[in-house]
Amino acid sequence: MSKRVRTVFLGIVLSLVLLTSLAVSGQSKSITFWLMPNAPDDTHIPWLEQKAAAFQAKTGVKVNVEIIGWDVAWQRITTAIATGEGADVFQVGTTWNPQLAATGGLEEIKINEFGGKNAFMNANYVSTTYKNKSYGVPWFAETRALFYNVDMFKKAGVQPPKTHDELYKVAEKIVATYGEGSAIALAGTNAHDILHNWTIILWANGGDLLTKDNKMAMFNNDAGVKAMQWYVDLVRRGYASKACAEYDQNQADAAFINGNVAMCYMGPWNIAGIEQQNPGLNYGVVEPPAGPKGKASFSGGSNLVVLKASRNKAAAKEWIKFLLEKDNMVEYTKNLTHMLPAQVEVFADPYYDSGVWKTFKTTLEYSTAYPPLATWGDIENIVKQEFVNVLSEYVDGTYNDNTVKKHLDAAADRVNDVLKRER
Amino acid sequence: MGMLSKAKGTRRAYWFILPAALCMLFVHFIPIIWGAYISLLDLDVYTLTQWTSAPFVKLGNYIKLFSGKFAVGQRFLRSVYNVFVYGLVTIPTGYIIGLLVALLLNRNFVGRTFVRGIILLPYITPDSVAYNVWRFIFQARIGLVNKYLLKFGLIQEPLVWLVGKRALTAVIIASIWKGWPFACLILLAGLQGIPAELYEAAKIDGASVWQQFKMITLPMLAPVTKTLLLLNVIWNFHAYNQFYILLGGSVGEAHVPSTFIMQEAFTNLHYGMGSAMSVVLMILIVILIAILLRSKRRASYES
Repeated sequence: MSKRVRTVFLGIVLSLVLLTSLAVSGQSKSITFWLMPNAPDDTHIPWLEQKAAAFQAKTGVKVNVEIIGWDVAWQRITTAIATGEGADVFQVGTTWNPQLAATGGLEEIKINEFGGKNAFMNANYVSTTYKNKSYGVPWFAETRALFYNVDMFKKAGVQPPKTHDELYKVAEKIVATYGEGSAIALAGTNAHDILHNWTIILWANGGDLLTKDNKMAMFNNDAGVKAMQWYVDLVRRGYASKACAEYDQNQADAAFINGNVAMCYMGPWNIAGIEQQNPGLNYGVVEPPAGPKGKASFSGGSNLVVLKASRNKAAAKEWIKFLLEKDNMVEYTKNLTHMLPAQVEVFADPYYDSGVWKTFKTTLEYSTAYPPLATWGDIENIVKQEFVNVLSEYVDGTYNDNTVKKHLDAAADRVNDVLKRER
Repeated sequence: MGMLSKAKGTRRAYWFILPAALCMLFVHFIPIIWGAYISLLDLDVYTLTQWTSAPFVKLGNYIKLFSGKFAVGQRFLRSVYNVFVYGLVTIPTGYIIGLLVALLLNRNFVGRTFVRGIILLPYITPDSVAYNVWRFIFQARIGLVNKYLLKFGLIQEPLVWLVGKRALTAVIIASIWKGWPFACLILLAGLQGIPAELYEAAKIDGASVWQQFKMITLPMLAPVTKTLLLLNVIWNFHAYNQFYILLGGSVGEAHVPSTFIMQEAFTNLHYGMGSAMSVVLMILIVILIAILLRSKRRASYES
């Protein structure tokens, strides 16, 4: 009997070995590519399949494309980096690139192979670097601007605001016409990118997240406190709905796209959402209103990186080059994602001097990226947590003039601790 | 002869449990030991790909957790406190509702099987579905909770449920709804195991319904109750889905250990600290279970 058990056991082991070896041998001519849902699936997936087929015809390498949601992407990518398994080449958010580079899990990139650093928008190129080496190739850029509902503005008799003060005045009139909470939609506690929204206000107030040498937190100075109070006051004064406290970015976007709210800070990718969900929406886009210290916006986007443990790094790099070819880039940004290209050459396309794109292009020129630090994720999460605490205090009715300062000070202490870990 | 065949049988039995034992070894024990080892390392973003080169900090991570000087420790202790509060409310409430419904369902009436099936609905609904629905229900602007509270004049303006102090309450309400049918199912099985003769004898002795419940039903349900409690305590400390789905990014002060560990280890990439917290949580659960099992054994001796 035990002999039979042993035979069965041996059989199982043998078949497992066989399966594994089959799987390994099948990998040599293919690469796996992870990207986020940068465009609506029904146009995105067919385009990717078509391009993967074209790439295979050209190089003989099969590309397995997998779309992963932003909410799980960080987990998937860090797991791939820790284990060396999963994807050969993948998309990362610009703010992730330096941290992932610091893990040592990303392949160093010779940027000259991809046209040199001057071929890319500077903020995007910087985001691929860590300690003066490149660990990714800029793919597309994003920046945020103020979307407004033309019809609602007309009925309230207002013009798009050019400054923070004007925005309050405009909001006042819109609320008088359309009721409380109708002036602006805001990302709240559930928005993973709430910080990107706030830094636009922060920089316009002359503040910054860290000191120039990236050694100390400085977002808790007067400019920082004022910027966060201005943000929270949008809700407190009834310009934004109280429910915004719990919104994620999508909920804020939807409130604007559905035509319920007159303004929202959004990005170029939202244009695809408007075309799909409410094509009749009469909207305009203006640069983010200037603060006391001038204009500012957030620079983000995505880069393409290669996993250091990949067995097919050459093919992975070829795939990046293929995606970055001008025709593919123009198609991908103009027709599919409505993101902004990160390549100077593609940006020169006259298309980007027309309509709303001109606004985005201008905004991108002065927008700011986060500092390329290994501990950036920590820092962002700490500030975000304290921002959540500020909004929680508002919801709980304990918010007062000192609330913002108290929480930003707490965040600054913690961030300074984290910065000590930075090597 | 008898001894010999018994030894042979034992050996054979070992062969049968070998695959399971191997699986346990690789899936449970090795990762647990590994995790405990990592908790002694300062494993972070810099050492993610070469964790063997992470500095060995001995009990450094644990000291950080309990010294009270570090934000991470304060937040962790807060999360443990939260999960206790959460358990102390959801477990007894779920039990009481489950018991009341089980008592009702233990009678004969038309459509009993159908009703028994229906009440299991919350339990069999996948967490992701159920809690996402609850998330809508609790939404400030369009949620049903606010709609009815406003309608009945209990509140003057919509409340934000999923942020701030009310967040834990919201999760507790949703969890009770999700959890009581299981208690009901188990208690109903327990009720059906109570011999009818006991009640008949009690009736003849002139016992009131309350006396019957107190003297027969409750004591006879004790073993089932203990098992239920044991399972609930274990699940309670694992609570993750309900917090993650309902509160998403806005967990704020309503962290529980699982969500906090997830964030520290997998979002902030402090694997050493995350492992230390997991170890503390495991020890905590083991202690609680040991206490429960001991009281259970004592109870069974007494009866």
